[in-house]
Amino acid sequence: MRRLASVCCCLVLACLAGCSQPPQPSNKLILWHWMTDRQDTLQKLAQEYKEKTGIEVAVQLFAPSESYSQKVIAAAQANVLPDIYGILDKKSIVADFIKAGLVTDLTPDMEAGGGVWKNSLYAKALADKSFDPGNSYGIKPGIYGVPIDVTNEQMLYNKKLLAKAGIKNPPQTFDDFLKDAHLLRRVGITPFVAGWGELWLLDCFASNYAFNIMGEQKVFDTFRGKVKYTDPDWLKVFGVFAQLYKNGVLMNGIVTKGNKYAEQDFALERAAFAFNGSWCVNVYKEMNPKLDYGVIPPPPISNAYPLKIWGSAGSTFVVNAQSPNKDKAIAFLKWLTSEKQQEVLARETNNLPSNRQATVAVSPILRDFSKGMEESTHPNIWPLNEDPTVSEAFDRGLQAILIGDKTPEQVAQEVQKVKDQQMAKHNRRR
Amino acid sequence: MINKYVLFRSARSTIIHIFLMSVAVTCLFPIFWMVRCAFMTNQTIFVDQSLIPHHLDFNNFVKAWTQGSFGIYFLNSVIYTACVVTGIVIIASLAAFSFSRLNFPGKNIIFYLFVAAMMIPLPGSFVALFVLMTKLHLVNTRLGYILCMINVGLSMSILILKTFFDKMPHELEDAARIDGCTKLGIWWNMALPFARPAIAVIVIFNSLNVWNEYILATLLLEDSKLMPLQRGLIIFQGAHSTDYPVLMAGLTMAAVPIIVIYLFMQKYIVKGLSGEVVG
Repeated sequence: MRRLASVCCCLVLACLAGCSQPPQPSNKLILWHWMTDRQDTLQKLAQEYKEKTGIEVAVQLFAPSESYSQKVIAAAQANVLPDIYGILDKKSIVADFIKAGLVTDLTPDMEAGGGVWKNSLYAKALADKSFDPGNSYGIKPGIYGVPIDVTNEQMLYNKKLLAKAGIKNPPQTFDDFLKDAHLLRRVGITPFVAGWGELWLLDCFASNYAFNIMGEQKVFDTFRGKVKYTDPDWLKVFGVFAQLYKNGVLMNGIVTKGNKYAEQDFALERAAFAFNGSWCVNVYKEMNPKLDYGVIPPPPISNAYPLKIWGSAGSTFVVNAQSPNKDKAIAFLKWLTSEKQQEVLARETNNLPSNRQATVAVSPILRDFSKGMEESTHPNIWPLNEDPTVSEAFDRGLQAILIGDKTPEQVAQEVQKVKDQQMAKHNRRR
Repeated sequence: MINKYVLFRSARSTIIHIFLMSVAVTCLFPIFWMVRCAFMTNQTIFVDQSLIPHHLDFNNFVKAWTQGSFGIYFLNSVIYTACVVTGIVIIASLAAFSFSRLNFPGKNIIFYLFVAAMMIPLPGSFVALFVLMTKLHLVNTRLGYILCMINVGLSMSILILKTFFDKMPHELEDAARIDGCTKLGIWWNMALPFARPAIAVIVIFNSLNVWNEYILATLLLEDSKLMPLQRGLIIFQGAHSTDYPVLMAGLTMAAVPIIVIYLFMQKYIVKGLSGEVVG
């Protein structure tokens, strides 16, 4: 009797498991995202879309981003991804999703009508989920994601603190910046803070100056192993950090400071300059609504090449290639990234819109941030990136310079040594 | 003349008390800080360094309750905690009683498998759980989440209870059998009352675990109306910015029920943790 009951239970479970039906087309789209600060606005826009088109978009929030990523991976394996979702992982994972047939190639829709949709968005933002011809991932070239906003990293200055030190205009060159730092120190103000305990932010600042000093081609040639880190131009890049240290520009503890703490310092007027991303507008508004500040690109040290800031897509959605509502999902994303909706998103969430035309509607500070967007760059769109072990040695070296432990020459040699080891390993593998 | 023994005793007592007080302060200070921050504003939280804020803002609690939709999440968490803890206590006590008192083939292997399950971290089983729940059509249902959470808490609870049941005198069991008790009767009338301290430990540990759980809920639940309390707290943490005062107010409210459960059961907890037998 007991055995019979067990067998019956197993049969019921097996039947339940097998009773799944393939999804049918419907007028309801499901969108998964991870952005707590954009949930209300996205829901509001979804409601507006429903009133206009009759298509319901269920905006489902799963935060924090780590939990969201796990959910997406699990849903991908169970083949139950929603119509619209975002992939927060690196490009190689995005490539895996595309290979698994879970992401729609949006190129035909982007290019339709002479590329109206594509041209309305920042090219750098589209590049985040695009694959070029001959890409190393073996993905069919095309655009696979729709950015709903963009970010870039620049320098912020506190107008009140600069005025207190008698500085009328923000610095235009690196020398001006050092002079301003001296003036600020004289009146007891810490000149500069950044969350350089987070290596990517330090890497970003160094990369800005590397592009400015030697141009992008030479930077990429260094990654390829054709130029050494002991090259005079790289010594100049390391020298930027040595000068910051020697001139007393930096806030104490900057090399261990997380960006959240650096943001607190700038918002609470403990430092006159900061290096941060465009999301800081939201952060500063919450911490100190009266903060009077402006934004400039990091002041260039050389006239040889343009200083390129980092800028890329902030949040990007993809369309599930298995979805029976694929076309409706694409139509919704097209609507969401059109000028009017982007203005609403930018105004209510204080993020930089991905649509160029929508920048007119944003606050002056965000507009200043958006100015750098066209000329920006980002590791995601570079033809190649430095080996992670070398990058880590590079960043640790910069931190050592910032606390006065090592000279630029010492760090250059150490980084080159690691680079040589990695190159040798790579050659052996080949 | 001062008695040396009295002097030694009072010195030892003072040192022990200072040590215990410092440990107590270390444990209680974060709770105090959480409550303190719950009464501040975003503008004062980073500036006002005083222990008691100069201006008390009660709005954070209202904001946390309404904006974080705490009403529905609170109810959900109560349902999940009650069902999961009840489920764990019943299943774990039955399983532990069987492992301790019954003889059946593969008893030890099955027990060690349960114990080995404790070694698998929850994130390691996410994908498998999600796929299984999807196949059983239990994703985005309360039942699916409750079953998964019962599964999470079972191994540890079985281990704790088996240790207790192993210490239960065989004579008591024999006497009950002579009096006509069935195996289930022995479990209900003797084993469960005997293991009360262990059950208290299981209740408090699993209540804490379910009450604070969020990752599995994010994985299995999609409808925000089914989400537990921790979902309400996440609302106040953006990708780049956090509304600290409201978050602290939410945390304060979320901590109250678990503190109440602890206070009710604290007398059993030490006994349960030390494996002390009643009687």
